[in-house]
Amino acid sequence: MNTMIIDGLSYALPLLIIACGGIFSERSGVTNLALEGFLGFGAFTGGLFVALTSSWFANGSTVPMYLAFLFAMLGGGVYALLFALLCIKFRANQVIAGVVINILSVALTGFLTSQINSSVFGEASNKFQLGVSPRWTIPGVSQIPVLGAIFTKFYPFEILIVVLVIFLNYLLYKTRFGMHLRAAGDNPHAVDTAGISVVRVRFAAVVIAGMLAGLGGMCYAYSISTNFSPSIYFGAGYLAIAAMIFGNWKLMPTLAACLIFGLARSGAYQLVGYLKLSSNFTNLAMAIPYALTLLLLIFFSKSNRAPRALGEIYDKAKR
Amino acid sequence: MSKHMGKKPGWFLRLLGYKKTQFLTIPLFSIFCSLLAIAVLILLIGKNPLTAFQSLLQGSGWLPKPNYAAGKSILTDLLDMLDAYTPMLFASLAVALAFKAGLFNIGVSGQMLLAGFAATVLVGYQDFPAGLAKPLVVLLGFICGSLVGALIGFLKYRFNVNEVVSSIMLNYIIQYVVGFFIQTRYVDVVSRQSRAIKAAARLTLVDVAWGNMKLRLPLLFIPALLVAVLLYFYLKSTVGGYELKAVGLNRQAARYAGIKVGKRLVSSMTLSGGLAGLAGVTYYLGYYASIKPNELAALGFDSIAVSLLGNSHPLGIIFSSLLITSLDKGSTYMNSTVGVRQEVSSLVTGMILLFSACSAYMRYKVDASLRLALAGFAGTAAALPQQDSADGSGKGGKKA
Repeated sequence: MNTMIIDGLSYALPLLIIACGGIFSERSGVTNLALEGFLGFGAFTGGLFVALTSSWFANGSTVPMYLAFLFAMLGGGVYALLFALLCIKFRANQVIAGVVINILSVALTGFLTSQINSSVFGEASNKFQLGVSPRWTIPGVSQIPVLGAIFTKFYPFEILIVVLVIFLNYLLYKTRFGMHLRAAGDNPHAVDTAGISVVRVRFAAVVIAGMLAGLGGMCYAYSISTNFSPSIYFGAGYLAIAAMIFGNWKLMPTLAACLIFGLARSGAYQLVGYLKLSSNFTNLAMAIPYALTLLLLIFFSKSNRAPRALGEIYDKAKR
Repeated sequence: MSKHMGKKPGWFLRLLGYKKTQFLTIPLFSIFCSLLAIAVLILLIGKNPLTAFQSLLQGSGWLPKPNYAAGKSILTDLLDMLDAYTPMLFASLAVALAFKAGLFNIGVSGQMLLAGFAATVLVGYQDFPAGLAKPLVVLLGFICGSLVGALIGFLKYRFNVNEVVSSIMLNYIIQYVVGFFIQTRYVDVVSRQSRAIKAAARLTLVDVAWGNMKLRLPLLFIPALLVAVLLYFYLKSTVGGYELKAVGLNRQAARYAGIKVGKRLVSSMTLSGGLAGLAGVTYYLGYYASIKPNELAALGFDSIAVSLLGNSHPLGIIFSSLLITSLDKGSTYMNSTVGVRQEVSSLVTGMILLFSACSAYMRYKVDASLRLALAGFAGTAAALPQQDSADGSGKGGKKA
C-alpha cells in the first residue's frame, strides 16, 4: 500500500506539471499535442548539461540535479518557441504542427545524443547518465498510517512541483496575465479590442508550456531511469493531454486525473507482484493506465467544454 | 513584400509561384530546404554531404554501388526498397484519407500491429495452402484494421472523444496487450520475437532465383499502387468521396447540406483503419515474417510525414512515400560507407515534415507577393492605391 502511494505520486506529479503546461497552452487557444516533444527535448537539455559538467561537481553532489531541472525548463521553453513559431506565426495546422514537433524531437535528440556521446565523450551510447536523485523522508509525519506514505521517500522534485502548481494556479486565475491568457482562448477578439496582443499572449503561454513539460520530462528522467535515453518518449505527453481533457482544462480536476493514473499504474504493478505472476504480466499492467484513460474519456468527454477558440488560428480580420 | 512591387516577379517567385504548379513546387521546395539543412549539419560533423546523399541513393537501389556481394545487384536493392515501400504506401494512404475527412489518424501503428498480429496467429501459424492463406491474410488485415478505425470513429462521433487521444491510447493498449500474448505464447526463444510465419502466408516472395540473384518480390506492390489510384478516383468523382471531403472542409456546412456527418466520420475512419491494416500485414507478414513485441512500427508515424509531404493527395503520396522509404533504406548503407549516423535519415524526415507544415503559409505568402508583383508589373489598378504617377509603380503596395 505504501509503495503504491510512493510510486504513484512520483509518477503522477511530473504528469501533473506536464498537464499544467498543456492547460496553459490550450487555455490560450493553442491545441498542444507537442508536449511529448517538449518534455523529451527538455530532458535532453538537462541530461546534456549533467553529462557535460559531470566533472565540475563533487561526486554525489545534488547541485547538478537542480541545475538540470533549470536547464530542462530552458530547453523545453526554447524548443516550444519553434512550435509557437509554426502554429502562431506560420499558421500551420496546430494538430499537425504538434505531431511534427514530436517526431522532430525524437529524431533530433536521438541523433544529437549519439553524436555528442561519440564525438565529445568518445563512447557509443544513446544515453546520458544522470546521478541518482536523493529521496527524502520527513521524520514523524511519515509515521502516520497510509497518509504518512506521502511524506516517505519522496523525490525533491515533488516539492518543487507542488510549489510550482500552487503558483501556476495563482498565475492562471488571479493575475491580469492569467485573465488575458484565458480570454485569448475563449474570445481572442475581445483581448485584441482591449489592446493586448493575442499573438504575444499565446507565445508566452506556449513557452510556459514548454518549460513546464521540460521540467516534467527531467523529473521522469530522474525517477524512472536515472539516465536520458530515447525511452523518455513513453507517451507521458499524450497521457498528460488526456488528463487535461479529463480535468476539463482546469487545474484541480487535472490533479485528480493525474493521481488516478499514477495510482492505477503503481497499483497494477503491485498487483502483479502480489499475485506472484510472471514478469510478462507487467505488460498487461502497463496497459491499464491507458485503458483507464480511454474509458474515463468516454464518460467525461461529452460534458467537456473546451476553450472556445481552441485550435483556431487568430485572424484579426475576422473581428 | 513591397519590395516586389513594380518589377517583374523574381525568378524564385516565378519558380514557386503559379497556382498550377504549386502542388509540385512547394513540396519540392520543402524537400530542398530540409536537404540543405541536413547538408549543413553533415558538413559540421566534418563529412561530405554530397557523398552522403549519393550513398543514400546507392543504398536504396537508385544508383549502382561500387561493388556488390554475391547474389546482390542494384535490382535486389531496388526490390528490397519496394518491399519496404508497399506498407509505407498503404499506411500513408490511411493517414491521407482520414485527413481528407478532417480526422487525424495517428493510430496507424497500433492498427498495423493488431492486424499483423491477428493475421500471424490465425493464418500465419496454420497449414493453409498458399492460394488460400495469402488472400486470407489480406482480408483479415483489412478487417482488423478497420475494426480499430471504426472504434475510434465511433468514439469520436458518439462520445466526442478526441480521435488523436483515443488512437494514441489504443496504440499503447494494443502494443502492450499484443506484447503480452507474444511473450507468453508465441515467442521464439532465440530471436525474442514472435515465431516466424509459414512461407505460404507471407506476402513477399523471398529468395526467388533469377539468374544468379535472389530477389524479393513484394506481391502487394502493384495492388498498392492500384489502391492509390482507386482512392484518387473515389475522392475525385464519387458521391461518397465528395461528402467525405465536404465533412473534412467544414463539418457545419456539410451538416446543413444534409450530409450525415457522423456516418461519414465513422466510415472514413473505418476505411482508413482498413488501409492501415493492409499496411500491417504487408509489414509484419511481408517485409518481416515476425513481430517484435512491445514495439510500434516507426513506419506508422513516418507515414504522417509522407502524407503531409504528398499534400494528402493519393497520387502525390505515391511519390512522397518513395522518397521517404528511399531515405530510410539508404541510411544503413550511408552509415557503413560514409560514417554518417543512421539517425540522420529520420532527421531528414523530421525536417521535411517541419517545412511541409509551413507549406500552407508558404503558399499564402507566395500567392500574396506574386499577386502584388504581377499587379505592379502590369500596372493594373487592382493592387494600387489611387495616388499614382504614370510609371505605374508605386510605394503604396504595402497596403494591398
